Amino acid sequence: MSQLTPDHFLFLSAALFIIGLMGVLTRRNVLVIFMCIELMLNAVNVSFIGFAWEQNSMVGQAFALFVIAIAAAESVVGLGIIMALSRRRDTVDINAVRDLRE
Amino acid sequence: MSAQVLVFDILSVIAVLAALGVVLARNPVHSAVSLAFTFVNLAAIYVILRAEFLAVVQIIVYTGAILVLVLFVIMLVHQEDLPEFHGGQPLQRVFGFLVGLVLLGEVAAAILTRTAVGQVGPWSPQQVAAAGGNVQALGEVLYSGYVLPIQATAVVLLVATIGALVLARPDVVTVPIGMARQVLTISLGHPRGDGEEETFEVPMLPAGTTTKAEAGDRELVMAKTGDEFTDKPAWGEHRTR
Repeated sequence: MSQLTPDHFLFLSAALFIIGLMGVLTRRNVLVIFMCIELMLNAVNVSFIGFAWEQNSMVGQAFALFVIAIAAAESVVGLGIIMALSRRRDTVDINAVRDLRE
Repeated sequence: MSAQVLVFDILSVIAVLAALGVVLARNPVHSAVSLAFTFVNLAAIYVILRAEFLAVVQIIVYTGAILVLVLFVIMLVHQEDLPEFHGGQPLQRVFGFLVGLVLLGEVAAAILTRTAVGQVGPWSPQQVAAAGGNVQALGEVLYSGYVLPIQATAVVLLVATIGALVLARPDVVTVPIGMARQVLTISLGHPRGDGEEETFEVPMLPAGTTTKAEAGDRELVMAKTGDEFTDKPAWGEHRTR
């Protein structure tokens, strides 16, 4: 409890990632699933930045920046898909989208 | 140093609680607000971990752009009453919870038995300060060793923009405006009641559309440009679903 160790942010990252994963597995609303994916990406960012802090390196921060950029692109496309889905099917239920199975 | 740990712990606990709120909230708007809490707390943690630029980027990009976009979509999308709000699918819920617990145990074991320590990099706090700050140091790293990934990221953003435009296109498109104009020009050249009527065989007409002879005594729609079309479907103008 005297000094900040890697275990602190590693546990934080693991907790956030697993909460996001449970959200993806249990929820049915597409928008909530989308937000949980953002949560998981942020957990990975915490790990990157924490290791960069531990190792006195800038590479981790550079990778976190790339993750943020890709997350922005992913969110644009994902929300576009959600909009198209709601316009065609009038639903945000992930279980209603099962065209590939049938 | 102990104050740092205390602040880190408080921020972490708030972040994790807000993350739980994202998953457990019934209303998606509440989920989004919880997610904003998580993001702001994570930005503060980035400041503790000496990543000031990324903290600002986190606030601007995640909380400012992505979350506002999510809130807009929540407003636009029709929120129906999902079965999960009435306690449906308990098997899925229990399974997800179990998977989460197992995974948490595994990761905790991996973290606690972690021994590998890599080579310490060159960017000590003194070195970062000598370079002029976090932004300058990050820029030096990015634009010396990661030029190609940055350009690839730019291409990805461009493609995502185009993809979003394609996805957000209106669903009902009156595509063949040009085709309809062509057909109208042909049929207006032969006014009605002019002796024998010919049936025109227009090869580009899709099956099921009526040509002039079959249209009976329906009134003619005179249009020179696509903007003058009324709601009445003209020949050749069909709505694609």
